[in-house]
Amino acid sequence: MTNTTHHANDQALTPGYVDTAGDHFRLWGSQMMVFIGICVILLPIAWLFLTAFKLPRDVYAIETAFHFTPTLENLQTIFEHPWNLGNKIWNSFAVASGTVILAIPMATMAAYAFSRFEFRFKKTIFLLVIASQFIPAAVIVLPYFLMFKQLGMLDTRSALVLINMSIVLPYAVWMMKGFIDAVPLEIEESAMVDGAHRTRVIWEIVVPAALPGIITAAVFSFTLTWNEFLFALIIGKQDALTLPIGLIGFRTERGDLWELMAAGGILITAPMFLISLLVQKQFIQSLTAGSVR
Amino acid sequence: MTQISLRGLHKFFSSTHVVRDLNLDIEDREFLVLLGPSGCGKTTTMRMVAGLEQATHGEICFDGQRMNEVPTQQRDVAMVFQNYGLYPHMTVAENIAYPLKLRGFTTSQRDEEVKKAAERVGLSPYLQRLPRELSGGQRQRVALARSIVRKPKVFLMDEPLSNLDAKLRVAMRAEIKHLAHELQVTTIYVTHDQVEAMTLANRVAIMKDGVIMQLAPPEVIYSDPINLYVAGFIGSPAMNLITVVAHAGYVETVNGLRIAVTPPRLGPMTMGLRAEDMQLTSGIDAAFTAEVYAFELLGDSTMITFKLGLQSVAVKGDKNIRLQFGDQVGVRFDESHLYWFDNDSGNRIPASHSC
Repeated sequence: MTNTTHHANDQALTPGYVDTAGDHFRLWGSQMMVFIGICVILLPIAWLFLTAFKLPRDVYAIETAFHFTPTLENLQTIFEHPWNLGNKIWNSFAVASGTVILAIPMATMAAYAFSRFEFRFKKTIFLLVIASQFIPAAVIVLPYFLMFKQLGMLDTRSALVLINMSIVLPYAVWMMKGFIDAVPLEIEESAMVDGAHRTRVIWEIVVPAALPGIITAAVFSFTLTWNEFLFALIIGKQDALTLPIGLIGFRTERGDLWELMAAGGILITAPMFLISLLVQKQFIQSLTAGSVR
Repeated sequence: MTQISLRGLHKFFSSTHVVRDLNLDIEDREFLVLLGPSGCGKTTTMRMVAGLEQATHGEICFDGQRMNEVPTQQRDVAMVFQNYGLYPHMTVAENIAYPLKLRGFTTSQRDEEVKKAAERVGLSPYLQRLPRELSGGQRQRVALARSIVRKPKVFLMDEPLSNLDAKLRVAMRAEIKHLAHELQVTTIYVTHDQVEAMTLANRVAIMKDGVIMQLAPPEVIYSDPINLYVAGFIGSPAMNLITVVAHAGYVETVNGLRIAVTPPRLGPMTMGLRAEDMQLTSGIDAAFTAEVYAFELLGDSTMITFKLGLQSVAVKGDKNIRLQFGDQVGVRFDESHLYWFDNDSGNRIPASHSC
């Protein structure tokens, strides 16, 4: 608010500037646009949260849209048989963390190599890595199924970690290469002159300097894996089912159980909220990166 | 305690020949400055000494020991980079301590050495800051402190002052000179600034296109330049170089001005004369008279520029002189201050008379 006033004062001091109604209208208009935008984004989330605390009979009724007696029953039911979401949360968490823990160090090293070393066919190889993502998932889902069946890895979390790594790695390599490119070569040379060998240079100099980017890539990878649906559906059967697959279970022959789905929805979005709160600072840093010197 | 020898050093970047057959012996504790314009191979030469660049041909020796195959980490050199090369995520203290950490010093040893080094360059109040919270001059000091915190065999400085403003540059120059005197470590210093070279060096190597043109102490480079290139590079302003045709007893400039001097030989050549070796005169001892093209006050002196055809000639005058554009002024000089150069080879021609 102070900012706006200040700005207006500046303009008023500008010779020949006339404060017109048009300006006010434009300001009001843009504020309206922002408000509408926020509503479009937040309303479904708010609706989800409300629904999660409703009794089944309140879900469809208009008069109970905002006035209802909240219940924690749904959040309880989803952990019970036959839904067993607790199990699925653990699976989702294990698969997503496993993928990130394995993929990020690999991607860091690959990105470093692509960023710093000169080797034959470098551009072609890099392009191939990225191009692997152009293959539609639907095309490879069957080969994957057959392959993991032969390996006896169907319905295992390891299979999902492997598949998710293949999805996440190209993105992570590509994102991180950009961040490592931005780390001045001079500080690496400086560390080498100071006596650090390549591995120490990477872990003590490059990684900390590119940390915002690495965290960004890790969060991105986690989110991608957490939300992954198709492969989890094909590979999982009973033991390795993840949360997104668990939510599908609420579409029963008796109809869609919206209140339970909403309760599950809270569980699936909660980690994302948490993560975004935790890494907000890093995210902003990575956006404003490059101001190192 | 390190003597450095570079023998027949060549460096190619793909097909570009950056350093050509460079031979250079740097004495123990010497402060050697590599001076030249950008792209002359001076930085590449230094990077080869550091091991950041591999020599295509030739040998690099420290105390007679071949270093070509020794990796950078084991050469025990310290380097100050043009952009300082500070670690952005480490505090000043951590930056300075890093070389010690790599050498397995204990925390308490490190703290002590860091304190000493920081004190030496006047950084003590800033030890807990991050590099981005420091000014350019302070960052430069961190880079210096980091290089002196261990006792390296060789100091390498790659244009360390070029990112500082003019005033700070002069102050830091004096500090570097004092540090070099205190530490007594063999130093190679790369710069394109001839004032830095003159003030800091025990010896200056002037480079052009990957070749050393002249290697000599600063005063010799100044008073006895070996060719046109060196003469035109050193001094502020650089030596006046006037294209003339020599006749018996006088030379004639491009615009037909005749100056009575004794040339070492006849025919076309270049006459060199430093601005500070000429004086203004109104008497009959004037070697030539010309119209003032520009008159500048420098504070401690004045600078008067004349035009001889397309060539300008700068003369340093007394600080109290005041002139107008277009004034006719006489200039005199002692013939012993003249330098003669061959137009084609650029090489110096010894003066015919002895003084």
